Amino acid sequence: MQQQIRPPVQQASGFAPRKGRLWKEIWKHKAFYLFMLPGVVWFIIFAYIPLYGLTLAFKDYRFDLGMFGSPWAGFKYFHEFFVYYQFKEIIRNTIVISVLKLLIGFPAPILLAILLNEVRHALFKRSVQTISYLPHFISWVVVATLMIRIFTPDGGPVNELMASFGMERVFFMGEKAYFYPMIVLSAVWKGIGFGSIIYLAAIAGIDPQLYEAARIDGAGRFRQILHITLPGLKTVAVTLFILDVGGLMYAGFEQLYLLSNPAVASIGTILDTHVIQSGLKQGRFGYATAAGLFQSVIGLILVLIVNRVSKRVNGVSIW
Amino acid sequence: MRNRWTFFDGFIYAALLILSLTTLYPFIYVIAYSLNDGMDSMRGGIYMWPRKFTLENYITVLQDVKILRAYWITISRTVVGTVLHVFLNALFAYALTKHSVPGRKFFILLIFLPVLFNAGFIPNFILYRELGLINTFWVYIIPSLYSFFHILILRTFFDQLPEGLIESARIDGCNEFGIYFRIILPLSGPVMATISLFVGVGHWNDWFTGTFYVNDENLIPVQTLLQQLLTQSQALAEAASGSNSSASAQFADTLTTTPESLRMSTLVIAVLPIMCVYPFLQRYFVKGAMLGSIKG
Repeated sequence: MQQQIRPPVQQASGFAPRKGRLWKEIWKHKAFYLFMLPGVVWFIIFAYIPLYGLTLAFKDYRFDLGMFGSPWAGFKYFHEFFVYYQFKEIIRNTIVISVLKLLIGFPAPILLAILLNEVRHALFKRSVQTISYLPHFISWVVVATLMIRIFTPDGGPVNELMASFGMERVFFMGEKAYFYPMIVLSAVWKGIGFGSIIYLAAIAGIDPQLYEAARIDGAGRFRQILHITLPGLKTVAVTLFILDVGGLMYAGFEQLYLLSNPAVASIGTILDTHVIQSGLKQGRFGYATAAGLFQSVIGLILVLIVNRVSKRVNGVSIW
Repeated sequence: MRNRWTFFDGFIYAALLILSLTTLYPFIYVIAYSLNDGMDSMRGGIYMWPRKFTLENYITVLQDVKILRAYWITISRTVVGTVLHVFLNALFAYALTKHSVPGRKFFILLIFLPVLFNAGFIPNFILYRELGLINTFWVYIIPSLYSFFHILILRTFFDQLPEGLIESARIDGCNEFGIYFRIILPLSGPVMATISLFVGVGHWNDWFTGTFYVNDENLIPVQTLLQQLLTQSQALAEAASGSNSSASAQFADTLTTTPESLRMSTLVIAVLPIMCVYPFLQRYFVKGAMLGSIKG
């Protein structure tokens, strides 16, 4: 954000007090306050009142008394959450799924951007890009429906193909051994193309003279990628990485909710699905808010830590 | 520049070709499945092309009042939601480009902080309930009216517009609202297209709101309908695994559609509008996505 120094307003008389000058300045811009007014009201209601609503984690929510009037309950719900018999399982699932997605899903768009950058035919490049963006624009419901159809052992093309090679049919979505690979692959499939946009932009911003110099020094294309393209992507990559790590507690609600089934519930239940399950479905608002608050706080702490570490090590931070 | 075709090139083209095919194939398969006789599809063997071509699945789906109503909900929430969102966010962003407005930084902070820390599902749900939004059409529109990132993208774009243009309009006696409507909006086609696409796609694809905040059947959008079809089928499949072959054989003569074939045609209908639109807006959103992320 730019530092703006306001020129002192010329006062003909020179006697106007400071306060009056500020009001005059505000009055002069009244139209702009009017433009922002609906937004300010919206943000207070839909972003800040829910923050107050987090106090529900310490309250026994009663429908008749509402968010503000319900009686306090102390740390009861946090305690309930921490001693919940599946607590460890849920935390483990959340972290394992997130980390797997991060390990494979984070470098994937970088790799795609680098490959695309090496393509010399403009038409081919543009076609691949357009196609790769497509999954970003469809919902997880559609992706889940597609996946279940494609991978079903009951006539799905993947299993039919395997069967024609004499392999055994596999219930990909319903076997624990395949569940995480399916989750990670579908996340990569959906996100890789759109994720590559920002890296392509960063590559486009690299000074072409660097490549020329490297070529003169005898660097092949692989070495150019290694020593020019990759370092050129560092700032963007680190920034996005910080944000991704901040999301570690959010393993992907829509995807997991839609792709889980009873057969894989023990490894597919994550914090988000647990919050929805206990909150919206069982009506345990205080408990679910406590679980959600735990999630948000850990997420915030992770962003702060990674941001600080990155500032130290790389000199890159998001604020 | 050398034009020699190296092993490296071969690898790149092969990898990108495989990526494109794995992206497109599921859609090709589903379209083929939806255009094939449902009972026939159950025998398997459909890969890329319908074997027993029929439009029956689509006719059945498009005659279903429930689906048509859901389609209507989806279309109206997308239009209303997108227009309001873009109009209001642009208005806010335009005000933020005025560096002389006292308290400008406060307003930026006000809209940025919620990005760092959000309250999560339950407090939101309770708020919507206490506001009486649950089970109304407005639950689709109002809670998603503003977005920090969209305001940021719009502001970045407005900042590039020449100040002199606005100044001269003001001298000609145009008020601020008039400037916004007559100068800013007409000049902002590309960024408006970008934000509209993002917001419109968000509305079109949202199944969450319809599933958890709405239980009136008349109000659910297409994606929620698809989600319900999906969960139903999973439950059915689990209940009837193994024993459904005799039941389906019984109906084989009279039916040409199956729940699965209807699901596939519903899916195609839910995806088709976006597939037709996004390639044309591509050059805008590529720019927009860059603006939004790098300046963030």
